[in-house]
Amino acid sequence: MRDAYIIGAGQTEFGAMPGESYRSLFTAAVDHALDSVPGGIDADAVDEAIVGSLGVGGRQIGLSGPAVTEHAGLDGIPSTRVENACAASGYAVRQAVQAVRSGMADVVLAGGVEVMTDMSGDAAKYWLGVSGETEWERLTGTTFAGVYAQMASAYFDQYDATPEHLSKIAVKNHANGAKNPNAHLGFECSLDDATSAPAVADPLNLYHCCPTSDGAAAVLVASEAVVDEYTAEPVRVAGVGAASERVGLFERDTYTGIDSSTMAAATAYERAGIEPDNLDFAEVHDCFAIAELMAYEDLGFCDRGEAHELVEAGATTLDGDLPVNASGGLKSKGHPIGATGAGQVAEAYKQLRGEAGDRQVADAERGLTHNVGGSGGAAVVHVLEREVGR
Amino acid sequence: MTDDDAVTEPSVAAIGAYTPRLRVDAAAFEEAWGRFDAAGVEAKAVPEADEDALTMGIAAAQRALDAAGRDGEAIAHLAFATTTPPMAEEDLTPRLASVLGAPEDAATRTLTGSTRAGAQALAGALDAGPWGGSAGQSDRIGLVVVADCPRGAPDSEIEHAAGAGAAAVVLTPDGPGTVVDRAAHVESAPGSRFRGAGEAETTGLDITQYDREAFTAALGGAADSLDVDLSGVDAAAVQSPDGTLPYRAAGAVGVDAETIAAGETVSQLGDTGAASVFLGAAAAYDDGAERLLLAAYGSGAGANAFVVDGAVPVSVALSGECQLSYAEYLRRRGEITTGEPDGGGAYVSVPAWQRSTPQRHRLVAGRCPDCGALNFPPGGACRDCGRRPESYEAVELPGEGAVEAVTTIAQGGAPPEFVEQQSRSGPFVSAIVALDGPDGGSVSVPTQVLGDADGVGIGTRVEATIRRIYEQEGVIRYGFKMQPVERRR
Repeated sequence: MRDAYIIGAGQTEFGAMPGESYRSLFTAAVDHALDSVPGGIDADAVDEAIVGSLGVGGRQIGLSGPAVTEHAGLDGIPSTRVENACAASGYAVRQAVQAVRSGMADVVLAGGVEVMTDMSGDAAKYWLGVSGETEWERLTGTTFAGVYAQMASAYFDQYDATPEHLSKIAVKNHANGAKNPNAHLGFECSLDDATSAPAVADPLNLYHCCPTSDGAAAVLVASEAVVDEYTAEPVRVAGVGAASERVGLFERDTYTGIDSSTMAAATAYERAGIEPDNLDFAEVHDCFAIAELMAYEDLGFCDRGEAHELVEAGATTLDGDLPVNASGGLKSKGHPIGATGAGQVAEAYKQLRGEAGDRQVADAERGLTHNVGGSGGAAVVHVLEREVGR
Repeated sequence: MTDDDAVTEPSVAAIGAYTPRLRVDAAAFEEAWGRFDAAGVEAKAVPEADEDALTMGIAAAQRALDAAGRDGEAIAHLAFATTTPPMAEEDLTPRLASVLGAPEDAATRTLTGSTRAGAQALAGALDAGPWGGSAGQSDRIGLVVVADCPRGAPDSEIEHAAGAGAAAVVLTPDGPGTVVDRAAHVESAPGSRFRGAGEAETTGLDITQYDREAFTAALGGAADSLDVDLSGVDAAAVQSPDGTLPYRAAGAVGVDAETIAAGETVSQLGDTGAASVFLGAAAAYDDGAERLLLAAYGSGAGANAFVVDGAVPVSVALSGECQLSYAEYLRRRGEITTGEPDGGGAYVSVPAWQRSTPQRHRLVAGRCPDCGALNFPPGGACRDCGRRPESYEAVELPGEGAVEAVTTIAQGGAPPEFVEQQSRSGPFVSAIVALDGPDGGSVSVPTQVLGDADGVGIGTRVEATIRRIYEQEGVIRYGFKMQPVERRR
């Protein structure tokens, strides 16, 4: 099986962008990705496109792949929408890797787009709920935040962590996001801000929840056969893992972790031939702060029940042993659902190329991205590394 | 009525009564309006946003069956009476039967249209029973469920008095409460209380003397038609649109004020419409009464009277707990809320909902034939062993369990289809509960948990109760929610 490489990646600013459409956002992300290829690339070189989108608001929920790629001028190529809720474009990247490794394509564009801020709060709440289990879970009146809050309740009951640990994660991610010009909520917050915020779904408060954002991201995946045409310093896709889990939380074996994340990470580590200790940074799916806390355990950064110790030790801050969410994460950078997974890969690409500016992780040679759909029905993990001496 | 006649009719085996927990008192109205127009009412029961006549009736029916020591499977005759059916057209008795587990061949009756609908339902059931005649049916029962939650214009006497509650009567061939006599009487006297087609608020002409005369003439006529002497009754449960009118009828009916006081609930529950006399009877039995007069009146006008002799077992939930301010009362009534917003809601088609009613109504889980694990809802690959059995063994869960995960959806945070519930009732608890299996084991289900979030944590024991889940495509979806066992009354 041949290797796959990231040769370029980019994203739009994440945030509320009333002047942009889903097409214009996606087009901008494609341009950023194409422009980022060190040796340059012509759009005609793209063989195929995979587009992640949940379709919030409905808009072009059918044929949204061709709708954005044709608009972007990627004319005539096969283009498909991938839907796995918030993990849509993480899965798009994985499918691009599959296409390249299989030999069916040499350059594949994997991207994602979502527009979430052009509707009423009630409509947004409806669309945020569509990835919950519909017939039973959602009919308890719960929300996306509510399901993660239920996990938090069980987690706090089982382990020694407290809501203050969640607030510390929010403070960390805002500190990082304040250094990211593309961040939706690019400001610092105090621990007091993050502990005294109004309740959303107990025990989660407003600062424990990510925003809803508009945005798009795109990644160019190339085969080892052509990678040298585009860059001398490519980023290799060292390992990919993905897994599914029951959609409704009540249907699962555990509420204090996400098994699909654990399985996806185990596969990605095995394929990459590494251990979590070998990572220099990680972009994890912190739609809610409890999700980041659980991710530390699901991804093997620590043992079960010990994630809060990493928080207390500052191990995951930008200058810690394993910086997590240097981009600001979903919390501060923003969460345009369909764009998030590709946006994480774009961040990892920038970090591995040393192009992350003020939020650059020192000596970043290998990183992980972790993208979760809904409350864990789908998860996908990528291990990416700078190829040394190619 | 002779002894020979008595054995041809069923008798009262038990009564169950349910009232909402919420109360608003006269002082709250006085503060808001400068006066309170419901004479003799000190406080009244107020339904939660997810309660209606059917859910209250279900709660009363379950209590009545418990008090009688019977299962819904025994029901041969099921009557539902209310002036406030949640749907103006659509038979609600099949849903009542489904929740109670009544057989599909049970005879069902719906009575509505006046506050004597409950008494008419009881008379009809007495006419129809007993259900012990033929082989295989010797163990079957009649169940009369009466529930009401009247409402009027906010500034009307009817609304000031309007309470809520339900009662249910189990009838068997040999119940301890013998109906020793009964009678009905009508007078053509329209207008003392009415509601036009398509209207939500009951009104009246408010012609004091006319209203009183219609009331006392109809009730007096029914009482006069009784053969038995009323001097021996311990309590008289007389129709109570307010707290004074039943006493106005004392002379016409032939009982004293003390006897009426022993059978009234209006002072604490408000006007409970069709359920009024049945709630009064339940309260009287609960206080030890053994010989009762039930005297129901309905505008139009007509009355029914029953004399029941013998100590009837009861299971009642008549106490209230949560005192509402007047503003909170208006929210609960939906007077100052705007209904479901645009934005969409979780779509479950009616056919899909119908397929899930054994789970929603009776907690029917499935046992995996391969590994024995309980699955809820049953279907697809087993949650435990992952194999996909040809079919699951249906297992009805007892309905108690423990909270495993819990959150409170803060005010303003509800998804669109639950916005109206939250606007009326405030933040709500959404949880995952591990429900006990009938023979050990458990299975996890998502549910709302009623009551204050402070009373619900990991490990809290809860039990099932039927409420409105939501409304979609004009169809009210009823199903189980949970409430802390500690809240049991």
